[in-house]
Amino acid sequence: MSFTHLNVCSAYSFHFGTAKPDQLAQAAASFGQDALAITDQNGLYGAVKHIGSCLDKNISPIVGVRLQVQNRGTVTILARGHNKGSGWAAICKIVSKAQSKSKKEIVISEKNLAELVATDGKPNCTILLGPDSDFGQAVIGSNATNSAKSLLAWQELIPVGECLRVEIASHLTEPGTNYSTLQARRMLQLALTVGVKPVITNAVRYLEPDDALTGDVLDAARHLEPLGIFTPQPNAQAWLKPESLMKQLAVEIAQSQELAASLLKNTEELANSLRLDPVSDCDWSRPKTPEKSALGIEGNPFEVLWQKAHAGISWRYPNLSEDKLLPVRHRLHQELITINKLGFATYFLTVADVAQMIRDMRIRTAARGSGAGSLTNYLLGISGVDPIEHDLLFERFLSTERSSLPDIDIDVESARRHEIYRAIFKRYGGNRVTLLSMQSTYRGRGAVRDGGLALGFEEDQIDEIAKSIWRFSARNFRGMLGQKPELKKLAQQVEHDRRLNLLVDITERLDRLPRHISMHPCGVILGNENLLSLTPVEPSGLGLPMSQFDKDDMDPMGMLKLDILGVRMQSSMAYAIREIERVSGKTIDLDSIPRDDKETFRQIRTTNTLGVFQIESPGQRELTGKHQPTEFNDLTIQISLFRPGPMKGNMIAPYLDGRHGFVKPDLIHPDLAPILKSTQGVVIFHEQVLKILNVMTGCSLAKADELRRSLEKNQPHVEGFFRQSATKRGYSKAIVDRIWSVLEGFGSFGFCKAHGAAFALPTYQSAWLKTHYPTEFLAGLFTHDPGMYPKRLLLSEARRLGVKILPLDVNKSKDEYLVEATIDGTGIRMAITDLHGISNSEISRIIKQAPFVDLADFYLRASPSRSTIKRLALVGALDELAGGSNDHTRGDVLERVRQLTALKAKPKLDQNQPMLDFEAKEQMPSGFADISAAEQIQAELDLLGMDITDHQLAKYQPMLDQMGVVRSSELVSLRSKTDVLIAGVRVATQSPPMRSGKRVVFITVDDGTGCSDATFFDDAQTRSSGVLFNTKLLLISGKTRRTGVKGVSIMAENAWDLNQLWREYRQKNQLVAVEN
Amino acid sequence: MIAVDENVKVLTNRAGEPVRFNWRNGSYQVTSRPERWFSRKSWWLEASRAQRGIGSEVLEVEMWRITATKGISSPSQFELLHSNDRWQLVRIFG
Repeated sequence: MSFTHLNVCSAYSFHFGTAKPDQLAQAAASFGQDALAITDQNGLYGAVKHIGSCLDKNISPIVGVRLQVQNRGTVTILARGHNKGSGWAAICKIVSKAQSKSKKEIVISEKNLAELVATDGKPNCTILLGPDSDFGQAVIGSNATNSAKSLLAWQELIPVGECLRVEIASHLTEPGTNYSTLQARRMLQLALTVGVKPVITNAVRYLEPDDALTGDVLDAARHLEPLGIFTPQPNAQAWLKPESLMKQLAVEIAQSQELAASLLKNTEELANSLRLDPVSDCDWSRPKTPEKSALGIEGNPFEVLWQKAHAGISWRYPNLSEDKLLPVRHRLHQELITINKLGFATYFLTVADVAQMIRDMRIRTAARGSGAGSLTNYLLGISGVDPIEHDLLFERFLSTERSSLPDIDIDVESARRHEIYRAIFKRYGGNRVTLLSMQSTYRGRGAVRDGGLALGFEEDQIDEIAKSIWRFSARNFRGMLGQKPELKKLAQQVEHDRRLNLLVDITERLDRLPRHISMHPCGVILGNENLLSLTPVEPSGLGLPMSQFDKDDMDPMGMLKLDILGVRMQSSMAYAIREIERVSGKTIDLDSIPRDDKETFRQIRTTNTLGVFQIESPGQRELTGKHQPTEFNDLTIQISLFRPGPMKGNMIAPYLDGRHGFVKPDLIHPDLAPILKSTQGVVIFHEQVLKILNVMTGCSLAKADELRRSLEKNQPHVEGFFRQSATKRGYSKAIVDRIWSVLEGFGSFGFCKAHGAAFALPTYQSAWLKTHYPTEFLAGLFTHDPGMYPKRLLLSEARRLGVKILPLDVNKSKDEYLVEATIDGTGIRMAITDLHGISNSEISRIIKQAPFVDLADFYLRASPSRSTIKRLALVGALDELAGGSNDHTRGDVLERVRQLTALKAKPKLDQNQPMLDFEAKEQMPSGFADISAAEQIQAELDLLGMDITDHQLAKYQPMLDQMGVVRSSELVSLRSKTDVLIAGVRVATQSPPMRSGKRVVFITVDDGTGCSDATFFDDAQTRSSGVLFNTKLLLISGKTRRTGVKGVSIMAENAWDLNQLWREYRQKNQLVAVEN
Repeated sequence: MIAVDENVKVLTNRAGEPVRFNWRNGSYQVTSRPERWFSRKSWWLEASRAQRGIGSEVLEVEMWRITATKGISSPSQFELLHSNDRWQLVRIFG
């Protein structure tokens, strides 16, 4: 007889379990067990992965949950199987119910539990009363009579016999304590006396005894206390024991072979009734979409889709003659036939319905991903790029060769994303919609932090170590100690410090374990009205219910996930358009501007692309300098090239060489020329691979995409097919060899052109706005902060572009960066939200009460805290209230603020009472000294995080001049390989994966005249290890390296902390002054 | 309860259960079924390594609670610690 574990917490019991479902299923299968349960705490977080793993291993899945029952302790509740999903639905609802009250206390009432475990006397679930139930606890703490009473009370609550079992479990703890053999033995006796069948489990929380150490650390993370402070787990027995040990344990508890045998038999009988049939119980992998009625359609969904798509033709191609429309119609028919074959008409109608709803809300959207390759999506308004014009393929997105639901991702304005979620819930009903969740897992820094907590390290020390963990997996922490220059110091400490040594080991143990669940940033699940019987939900931070399943669970569960991703750039562009309209009255339809604006491309080619979508990073700016794009398709190519795949596949250099005429592109064969011409003979796109296979082997594009997908895994199979078919079609061996070597090398390196084209659209649109409306565009960037750089760099960019920055002013500043008309044009008014320490209520009071007549008026009506009014004064936001800088100095303003805040009680606002010394500008003190420019900048940096009046490097200028430091704007005029010193504020640090596998660090600094990019290779990293990742102001030495017509970067040799040099410089100068 | 910490010689049966032990020149005969259990250690205070695969010995230790008697004296409860073929008497209950 086999044994089945019925109580198993996986790693999805956050901060408790240590083993992933696939490891558990693998182990159970290798023990020869033919079923396995997963019973995570408070949810079905790992259930879908468990079912998938069990199907893989050909064993039966069993699913349950460990849950607290009001006043009755913690029990295990298991779904019963082969009942057309009534067990699965009940377990989902039990979990949802327990989760519905509050995040803090997850508990189900006795009443709700009793109602859900059985329907009309038919059992849906079986409850196991184990050591942690009130019954199990009574057995330890009370006499036999009281214990029996508690078991009888359970029997009364759950009268259906199949719904209740006593769970015998011993972790061989100290006799008489929880999970001891003695407790198990007494529970067994009482179960037999009262008449509730007993079963045996091992209350598993890890795979092997060794994992108990990891369990200790997780316990510390859960308690938020170091090991030694709380009561730890009793020993290391809670592992997935093999059948032989479980049988031995049964005998040890029962002290009778016969009784042990019946215990094991009961367990197997129960296990058999719990085995789930994924298809009939969980509706496994069958696609589910909202019902027709929920979509507001009548009749055959495919006919509705057909009509809607055809209606889109005149919208998208208004001026096309009938003969030119033929290919459009032909392609649409082909796509629709595929969609119909797959039965996905409702799916497309659903996505189209959502897209239409978003447009009706006047929210900007764009498609992303392979979905942009579909003409149907274009005609339904889901995507905004024409797949015919840009040569994108439907088959890359969807084909009859695959049956899983395709991903259609929609980008929307980030600031209005939650509005859309709420509208979707309203439109389709709360029973059909949930948010998607996301499992976050331990990575390097989190693992070090929780490991450090467990071992009782000081927070400062852990902070320092955590900071040095940069871009490597903590799984190999010890290995990295010997390799990374920035870890050298730590490596030395580890040798002498026992605790640090342990920290390295337990950090490795924690890495990759799930930590907690949170709201997925963009996923919404849309289903039919049965959705809440298929997935458990819990409250999200947004207040809307969230499924306990994550994105990897969607396909197996046949659930439709819509990715509605908030993109800050879309918000920034929407904001810019709104500001253009508000200030100048001009209306701009960004989606219909011509996509060949010469001025826009000229601007892009200067490489000043800061703030432009996708091409603002240091690497992209360098590539822009080399590439010099002139048309929309160039942007698609450039975005696609700058990806890990194409970079690893070494596609950039040959493409650029061909483009600039250094070499003649090799188009290999006349049949392939049309496919390879636009990319200079380099295969960059998935779509190109599909076409090559199509042309040379004669297979369909759909088949070609399947071949492309298996290129990575099953090369011999693809190669055989390719060689045979291409040879048959008359291609010479030489040609076949050459193409195969291209395809073989392509592997996973290429990029989906549809995705690149979808991204190129907002890239072009943002570049267009930056070119023609820089003030409004920058105001949008300031307000929605879409980029990778700090706000203060946008200020530098504004200065460079001649965009006027208007300082903070309590009468004019709002919580957004408004564009303001000035005497000589327009400017951007800084927002009040930037002031450090200002509260939301202060902000809203200031905006609501403005304008103010003088300082006292402001102090009274805006009612700011003392520190806020002082800070506002320091950064000049109150200058205008003192009559402007002509009348009074900043010193006067500060003095007046001191007077006001020194008053013991704030006078009450009373219209009838004259407020004597309080009112009136005459009270303004005068003659106090103004602050210096340097003090002003320092105050701005401290209180706003931005140097508004001048660049913060200005103060170091005498030293920089003496050292001969070169400005960023001067670099372009230097010859290659010139030795230079550059200085600036760090604005970006990147370490992208390189082809060689060696680490390269790119640091970008800004000096007020522009950004400079410095590249640090191994030696330079070692020399500058002290400042490489954390120092803000840097001096970097190196050699210039020309990267293109407009591009220069620095090959760094060393770097120093600018502030430290400044201190030394001042000391030396003071000494010199004294000597003189 | 008396805490002790002395090595003892133990005779076990085939199942590994103690049947007799010698302590301070006395021979103690186990008179009831011994109860096996596992206690734990504060590895974070003692160990210098805790890497994956090091084994649960770092964390856990095997214990036996037995009732035994010397000669004709009345039986007492004893606790033995078993680690790497070494036996220690750690506690005597009244």
